[in-house]
Amino acid sequence: MIYLDNFRSTMVAPEVWEAMRTAAIDEYAVPAAFTKCGTGAAELIERAQNRLAAAIGGSQNEVVFTGSGTEAINIALRGSTWAQAVDKPEIVTSEIEYPATLAVCRALEKEGYRAHYIKVDGEGKYDLDQLSSVLNEHTAMVSLMSVNHMIGTIEPLAEAGAIIAEASQHVGRRIPYHVDFASALQTQRLDVDAVKADLVSFSSNKIHGPKGVGALYVRKGTKIRPITFGSESYSPLVPGTPNTMGIAGFDKAVELLYATFDKDVEHMQSLTNRLATGIRERIPYILLNGPDGAGRAASHLCYSFLFIEGEAIMMFLDMDQIVVDTGSACAAATLKPNYILMAIGRNHEQAHGSIRFTLSRYNTEADVDTVLAKLVPIVERLRAQSTIKPPAE
Amino acid sequence: MAIKYTAKVIEHFKNPHNIGVIENPDACATEGSPACGDEITVYLKIDKATDRIEDVKFQSYGCASNIATGSIITDLAKGKTIDEAEAITWKQAADELGGLPPVKMHCSVLAVDGLRSAIRKYKKEVKGIDYDSTLDVKTVTEELKHVLWPPVGVDIITLKMVKYIGIDLGAVRVEVSIGSDDKFLNPTIDEIVEHVSKIRGVKSVNVENV
Repeated sequence: MIYLDNFRSTMVAPEVWEAMRTAAIDEYAVPAAFTKCGTGAAELIERAQNRLAAAIGGSQNEVVFTGSGTEAINIALRGSTWAQAVDKPEIVTSEIEYPATLAVCRALEKEGYRAHYIKVDGEGKYDLDQLSSVLNEHTAMVSLMSVNHMIGTIEPLAEAGAIIAEASQHVGRRIPYHVDFASALQTQRLDVDAVKADLVSFSSNKIHGPKGVGALYVRKGTKIRPITFGSESYSPLVPGTPNTMGIAGFDKAVELLYATFDKDVEHMQSLTNRLATGIRERIPYILLNGPDGAGRAASHLCYSFLFIEGEAIMMFLDMDQIVVDTGSACAAATLKPNYILMAIGRNHEQAHGSIRFTLSRYNTEADVDTVLAKLVPIVERLRAQSTIKPPAE
Repeated sequence: MAIKYTAKVIEHFKNPHNIGVIENPDACATEGSPACGDEITVYLKIDKATDRIEDVKFQSYGCASNIATGSIITDLAKGKTIDEAEAITWKQAADELGGLPPVKMHCSVLAVDGLRSAIRKYKKEVKGIDYDSTLDVKTVTEELKHVLWPPVGVDIITLKMVKYIGIDLGAVRVEVSIGSDDKFLNPTIDEIVEHVSKIRGVKSVNVENV
């Protein structure tokens, strides 16, 4: 199988699996004081907190582990907005966020919060002027993402952070700034101080760690309330027994990520370049969704193949053991074209014909060449069958 | 629950029968549009003495389910009289394919509509039988039987989701009952408008969720 759907989830690295096995079988105690096994489990969590915190410029106590990236987003958005004592509270996000962020914002809207959804340009970049214009004394929270999962756009987080910091000064209160870093962790480095982020969410399964683990960075001093309650854990934000097996796996995944980070990013970039060149040279009538070159994540490509429908392309590739994703309405449970592709100005037909290729450090040049060899005839064949023809014909 | 295609759907998707164009067809019709997801064109060659379908071909801008249904209905139609072929239902097509996921049933409906439209065009243009319906509650009800509720793949009339149909000088009002935050609400309203709009005499369609 050639797996090019790594922005959805990734293979668990063998070393990660081994670390999880050890944590499950040999280090299964609950974190506790004094006893050897209890302190061993506590140290496992501290080690993982330290490693992630060090990588992003934070400190150990600023990192908590959650049950998923989605849970981290829920704690960040709900917990911080609820903690703000603001009259007629408003929240700010963009129209192209991850579904979890949009779902929490819609839930908050139902609770009476006013939500602003920042628009994006044709490459998916935030309209920062609009961001400046909507921040005011009612703003309870801002949530933005680092890399867009559908179109690979690297967003101007630091510029947004500076705008939020300025607005915070103006209103005399820190407006909490949450950054969704789940899709970015694989290819982007983060310095929480440079970005001026108060909250950052992460997901383990996007970097060859297990599913069912995420993390949340909470800057010291950030006003936040727990959204779930239970027995005391190492942090009131995440009550209950910690998932030490999952945390051990996530920790190993983070260790592996940074051990070969630059080399892996370069490797993935060279593979996406090879794939992009092959597609551009061999398939006419295509559109790249999202920016070209440096403005996009190294492992990410998303093309619309005009005159044909993405689910059909995806199914043909699947029969050749190649896994990709599509923004076609036909592949969506709601039968609607992908909202991010529509937000950057694609029409229905262009969105239906989209295929997303997201690579990992485990992919090879041979994978890319196989994908090209299979993809070209699939597109030609579906175009020959299609009711829609290129304008020249 | 995992949404999967049957082996038969995959087989017809991989190697669709009757794909292509008939030059100088006796009738041809296109149903759907890229905006609604799928589009299919059906071409017919008909023996005018016997009204039997000699050859049938189709083209599809569509997903696996649409291509597979196009393949199976053209198989079913070939050699049949136009009346027999017109009576082929989308349920028959789906059954022949060993079933379709409920959410994909509308793709199957579209393919059957394509075949039916081509036959009706032939009947109108060649045989002089005007099938164009008059605008009344019955016609709208019949048309709404082609709008499926995606979670179960059953039409909204059978599911009693349509509460009222009103017609006033070409303006059609359809009242449905769907949860206001149901993710299928807006796509279903769009589909109702698309279907009702194509009935002759309709000037506007207003769908209200009550």
